[in-house]
Amino acid sequence: MKNAKYIKYIKLMLFAALFLRGVYSGNCKAQETDYKAYTLFVYNFMKYIEWPEAQNKGDFILAVLGDSPITKELETLAATKKIKGRNIVIRKCKTPEDTYGCHLLFVPSSKSAVVKTLKEQTKDKPVLIVGEREGLAKKGASLSFVTLEDDELKFDINKKEIEQHQLKIASSLISLGIVIN
Amino acid sequence: MVSATGIHAQADTTIIKKDSVDFYEMSLEQLLKLKAHGVPTELEKLINSLISVASKKPLNTRESPSIISLITQDEIASSGARDLIDVLRLIPGFDFGVDVEGVVGVGIRGNWAHEGKVLMLIDGQEMNEILFATNQFGNRYPVEQIKRIEIIRGPGSAIYGGFAEYGVINIITKQGADINGVNVSGTYGQGSEDYLRRNVSLSLGQKIKEVEYSISGSVGQGQRSNGIYTDFQDSSYNMTGNSQNNPAFFNAGIKYKGLSFRAIGDFFQTTMRDGYGNVIPGGAVKDNFCGIFSELKYIIKVNDKLTITPRINYKSQTPWQSEAYTGKEEYNRTATRTLGNITTSYNLNRYINFVLGSEYFRDEAKDKVDSSYFSNNKQKVSYHNYAFFAQGLIKTRIVNFILGARYDKHNEYGYAFVPRVGLTKKYGKFHFKALYSSAFRAPSIENINYSTNDGIKPELTQVIEVEMGYQLTRKSFFNINVYDITTNNPIVYYTDSTSTDYYINSGHSGTQGIEAEYTVKQKWGHVAINYAYYSAGNKEKIPDYEVSDNSSALMAFANNRVNLNSSFNLAKGLSLSPTVSFYGARYGYSSVDSTGTSVAELFAPTTLLNIYLRYNTPLKGLTVGLGVYDILDEQFKFLQPYNGYHAPLPGPGREIIFRLQYTLNYKSKTD
Repeated sequence: MKNAKYIKYIKLMLFAALFLRGVYSGNCKAQETDYKAYTLFVYNFMKYIEWPEAQNKGDFILAVLGDSPITKELETLAATKKIKGRNIVIRKCKTPEDTYGCHLLFVPSSKSAVVKTLKEQTKDKPVLIVGEREGLAKKGASLSFVTLEDDELKFDINKKEIEQHQLKIASSLISLGIVIN
Repeated sequence: MVSATGIHAQADTTIIKKDSVDFYEMSLEQLLKLKAHGVPTELEKLINSLISVASKKPLNTRESPSIISLITQDEIASSGARDLIDVLRLIPGFDFGVDVEGVVGVGIRGNWAHEGKVLMLIDGQEMNEILFATNQFGNRYPVEQIKRIEIIRGPGSAIYGGFAEYGVINIITKQGADINGVNVSGTYGQGSEDYLRRNVSLSLGQKIKEVEYSISGSVGQGQRSNGIYTDFQDSSYNMTGNSQNNPAFFNAGIKYKGLSFRAIGDFFQTTMRDGYGNVIPGGAVKDNFCGIFSELKYIIKVNDKLTITPRINYKSQTPWQSEAYTGKEEYNRTATRTLGNITTSYNLNRYINFVLGSEYFRDEAKDKVDSSYFSNNKQKVSYHNYAFFAQGLIKTRIVNFILGARYDKHNEYGYAFVPRVGLTKKYGKFHFKALYSSAFRAPSIENINYSTNDGIKPELTQVIEVEMGYQLTRKSFFNINVYDITTNNPIVYYTDSTSTDYYINSGHSGTQGIEAEYTVKQKWGHVAINYAYYSAGNKEKIPDYEVSDNSSALMAFANNRVNLNSSFNLAKGLSLSPTVSFYGARYGYSSVDSTGTSVAELFAPTTLLNIYLRYNTPLKGLTVGLGVYDILDEQFKFLQPYNGYHAPLPGPGREIIFRLQYTLNYKSKTD
């Protein structure tokens, strides 16, 4: 009898949860990820990280792997701002191979699984890999975003990876992030 | 071009200009304030608030390992709440009943929790008196001085020990930076015959560089009711002039960096004629509940990972102090508790945190009248207790895992060990909590004193809770939880017809239930509606708490409760706040039969309807409020949750409230 009562409660709660998901999943406008904030960080990464001299010519290629809402925000940035007089070009990439030749590669959460592949593929190349998902800096990204308990946006810094990619990060940017090695 | 409209990535609205170039040129320092999910709505701020009441380590409310209710100062102010009863009765599962001598105590989830089962903290000070471990409610603590209330609607013993078996009410008052000036307020409440309250409150405080101070005080007079109390023998008296609740409350704190000191004085004087149930002949009898509390605390941040917090607390309480009256001798006992606690928090990394701590306290009680009152046949008695507690928190992308335990050893009644385990996680709009907690109630000094020859032991409780919540829109939220409470060997209070008290461990008790709440916060105001249901149908019962006609009900507390807490902004600075508390049918003792046995009665459902109009006048800092509480004049009756021969105690009835508040802020806050 007791178990039946528990099962009844659990069923009721599951029903309520499913009902709510069903009713609201289509048009829910709950607090969404703010990609403008991410874009602002990415812009500052471009400003406060130095690429080798040979890479400082022509357009600044910013690749986004796969589909992500950040692409639209980055395109808005590219239409508005320049990096040291250079145009910013947003490249939408379907596969890791398409990212070849970019300066900065943004890896959305949905593509987190390929970070290790990207690390191998870009080894010793001057590419800054920025992961959206927390923890990617430990798996081979140069930087990855972190959302703290109070929703503050921060980023992890993998200094070894950055150096391996022949990049230099400004101390002022380091003081903003969390160095993991 | 990016227009300012719709930009969420703003640390401070002032830094966003109409030109998008300004947005992208935000300084590195300004980046530090950016939120991952943009500017939160008022609702999002509330449901994602960081709290540490349930875990010591700050976690957002939706991932905190307890069933939590949060009440903000704005909600209290807009509702026009007169006292803590008004605030707490809107919380799912909270209820009130009468004990003895006109005292109203708290019940939670159907269980009478007045004696040592709900811990109440004000600015970290344990307010429960330690002779019986009770709190007395009604026109007592100044709600105007409260910044927020964090409530655990479930067990908290693994952190807080033996008075937190069923719940924790953590009241945080406005500190120096919050007050930043002077705040004065006055409240007058008029009942059907006479005033029901007339209170004044004053707070001042400021933060100057690293020093923060606050000094607050309030005094007042109140009456429980203008109604008529009728005992089981049909004797009655008019409660006007015979049911005073007169508070005087002082609270001062000073803080410099991690070092803080706080002192609280709580002097609550009541009058009553209901005694232990039978009307006391003659005039009203005074009852005093006085206490002074102090705390010295130092938060030592050894490094980014390690924080050590030693604290010392001292409190001296003289509760239930009364002259002798028919059927009862004079009661005049003082109890002190000296407590030392050291808590260490270590963040191994962002995902793993450990809390370790130990606590020692020494209780002393003295009878000022009887030289051989206590169980040791002496005028004084003392006990000591030491405790160790530990907690581990691991956060992963899949789930947060929390494991904790507390071990207490008391020199008189032995030990209690209470582990708990919790799984919580927020996945975007959805969150869940699955919690198992063991908790205990520590016998108080008088529990020991009034125990039988068999002695008294801590009662142990097991609680299982599951909660799910879903953010429907950016401004609305729904959550629902179920719980199962089983208490073994509860400490039961009996008073017989000769007014003899005693405490024993007896049988089992508990409840199961469900609580749900829907909240919406919009520009036009806010609405929160909640429903709470409990059943004791599958649980053993304590005979004196049992309802013979209904196995699912327990005495005094309605199985079904619905609350509405709403506020509507009618115009700039003008809000109208209707609040409603619906109580389903309740059972309570209301008479005795020819053999002297108490007879229970089914009380019809009750609806308490209140409305409060609040206006921020053009005179800067001056706010006026006008409201009517209990518009339907239901005169809610506080029922006794056990068979103690006490008749239902009438509540305030219809009351017209007028409140005046003036705030003078210093020109600028100094950090």
